[in-house]
Amino acid sequence: MASILIVGSGVAGTILARQLLASDERHEVTILEAGPGLEPTTYRRWLDYLMAGESPYDGFWEPPREEHERFGLRGSRLFVKGGTTNHWGGWSLRFKPEDFELHARTGFGADWPITYDELAPHYALAETLLGIEGDSDNDDPPRYGARFPFEAAPYTLNDMPVIGALDSLGMSYSHLPMARNGSRCITTGTCRVCPVNARYTATFDLVDLQRTYPERLELRTAAPAITIAMDGKRAARGVRFLDRASGETDLLEAERVAICCGTVESTKLLLASANADWTEGIGNDSGHVGRHLIGHPLIYVEGIRPGNPERAAQELDFITLGSRHYDTPAHQREGKMLFVRAGGGSLAAIEQGILRNASRAEIERTMSSGIYLALEASVEQFESPENRVRLGGETAQPGLRATRLDFGVNAVTAAALQTHRENLLEVMRAAGCDANSIRAEFIKPDGAHATSTCRMSASDSDGVVDRDLRVHGVENLFVCSNAVFPNVTAVNPTLTVAALAVRLAETISRAA
Amino acid sequence: MQDKESVQRMEDKESLLRLAAAEVSLDRRRLLQMGMSAAVVAALPAGCLTVPQDESEQLLQRVSDSPRPLEGERLGSLDDAQFETLAGLPRFVDQGWALQTDLDPYLERLRSDLEHKTKYAPSYLTEYEHAVELIHLVSGSRATSQEAWSALLFAEFEAADLAATKLGRARRFVFDELVTHQIPISGAFKGFGLVNYRGYFGGPFADPASYRRGETPQPAEED
Repeated sequence: MASILIVGSGVAGTILARQLLASDERHEVTILEAGPGLEPTTYRRWLDYLMAGESPYDGFWEPPREEHERFGLRGSRLFVKGGTTNHWGGWSLRFKPEDFELHARTGFGADWPITYDELAPHYALAETLLGIEGDSDNDDPPRYGARFPFEAAPYTLNDMPVIGALDSLGMSYSHLPMARNGSRCITTGTCRVCPVNARYTATFDLVDLQRTYPERLELRTAAPAITIAMDGKRAARGVRFLDRASGETDLLEAERVAICCGTVESTKLLLASANADWTEGIGNDSGHVGRHLIGHPLIYVEGIRPGNPERAAQELDFITLGSRHYDTPAHQREGKMLFVRAGGGSLAAIEQGILRNASRAEIERTMSSGIYLALEASVEQFESPENRVRLGGETAQPGLRATRLDFGVNAVTAAALQTHRENLLEVMRAAGCDANSIRAEFIKPDGAHATSTCRMSASDSDGVVDRDLRVHGVENLFVCSNAVFPNVTAVNPTLTVAALAVRLAETISRAA
Repeated sequence: MQDKESVQRMEDKESLLRLAAAEVSLDRRRLLQMGMSAAVVAALPAGCLTVPQDESEQLLQRVSDSPRPLEGERLGSLDDAQFETLAGLPRFVDQGWALQTDLDPYLERLRSDLEHKTKYAPSYLTEYEHAVELIHLVSGSRATSQEAWSALLFAEFEAADLAATKLGRARRFVFDELVTHQIPISGAFKGFGLVNYRGYFGGPFADPASYRRGETPQPAEED
């Protein structure tokens, strides 16, 4: 019997497994992954991405389902070994201290039952485990002396017009922390399918874990969890899962179970495990499982800055410039915003010119004609109990239930989107973009940053898990996913869930 | 953020850049509509992009609309003659766009990379063989390889399902991919004044000199 059974092999499950295996040789870990196995990038896979733009992950999108008009699920989450880290961008920002006190400070949402300072050391360790490059001297939020494992990548030439605009407008900016291993990266411009695994993926991490701990780690792929099996109301016995290879349902028992399969699937697993003791789903006596769904509405602004005599092109295939100017305590009540200078913007599509039979002179003129600039922003959304995840019917993929969503955007968030759109347009104009070329669009939130449907709370009447991520009322069942966030502020959730996984490993090790 | 859809969206933005040079772009489009080639038309005899009827029928023979390479489980290697036939494309591009790269080492690398594309599934072997057949077909009725490649790459047809034909598949799975490989791997982009390019193995990001032309002062760091 495994001492720990982890459901999900994405970043949370993998970091949790790594920390448990490293901390105590008595720990034996089994990971159940619903999707198939996947090896880290091969040269052939990289060639296909370079030559044909072919994503190796296309076959692993979540099962087809009815799309919600205000909340996207397609194209965000992957069902495969390593989970969504296989295609994530690598943005790795900490939340700020005030984000943990949202309700106390604004009246919106809920407070975290832990503080930033409690999580700060786990953030620091997570930054090391994910191999993040960043500016260690930037103390907003406070780092308490922790250093990133890799120095920040320099700003790119294409960042410069935006930096000039931000300077002229008095807006703050900084290097954006990214999960890019500085000792491996060779700036190929193909980060999505990195040929040297410089971008963190749980897939690559798991290969290392399997080599390091062959006797104590078992990874079972194509094994979707169906329900949590219980021993009475207060203890989990294990997980019932489908072995897709045999088509048989099986039970894996464990001393502890950690549900780490993302916001939507973690929630559905608790709901699907309803039994005589937990009639509405495990941990759901107070009715919070599935409620308070939050995502990140996005704003994308683009334009052309005329002239590019230096032929500045996109130098790196990852974000280097970000601004948390609107991510401060003063902006918390209206809804914070994080924005970055988005990637792309290369004028150097030489092969496209050749394949259009454009002359060399024409290609060169295009390269010098302007710089494509874009800003991408995520905006804080406040929770509403009516926004929720529910269980749907069966899907074509055995063992996986469909997702039903109820979702709306509240008036505060809608107003914040309009205000921040204007803020971004101001930056584009100050960056010298041709007014006629500037366009802005809103993009609905999606599963990539979905949070809060099993939120953490001090009391079982106000949430689903306690400050140690233990499901209220079940002594050995934990949830470690974005689902436990009481809110998600304006920044990407991955580093925070990785920090929570580090913290959970400590909690479990102490108890063991 | 930065999911598949947004990446696609960003790639689509490249078209905006071309619109920035609208006059050039539109002029080229008009040329194409006339069946002419902006880059090589001046060097070609009139009518070189006209394809005879019998040749058209073979080029436009419907094969498949599968988005995957045909017979992708059929593994193997190109023989020397087949590879040399395909290698005519990088030679044509190098000459036609005055890339002036050292082709010998590039072709060695190309040979190796095409082995990866034919020895591992999904194999491109059948697609490459079909393309070689087309190259021979079109070359046989043209005076020069330049004329043949111009026709293969740029001749326009009325076929509604061009992508499912022999020529359409050769353009997608072979010719487009080879050119996309050539620009970064041969280092041809350097002749356009660039230091790094998508697909080129540059240096570490901590060393901008490895991917940037000249050094640019960084803004003062904020406290």
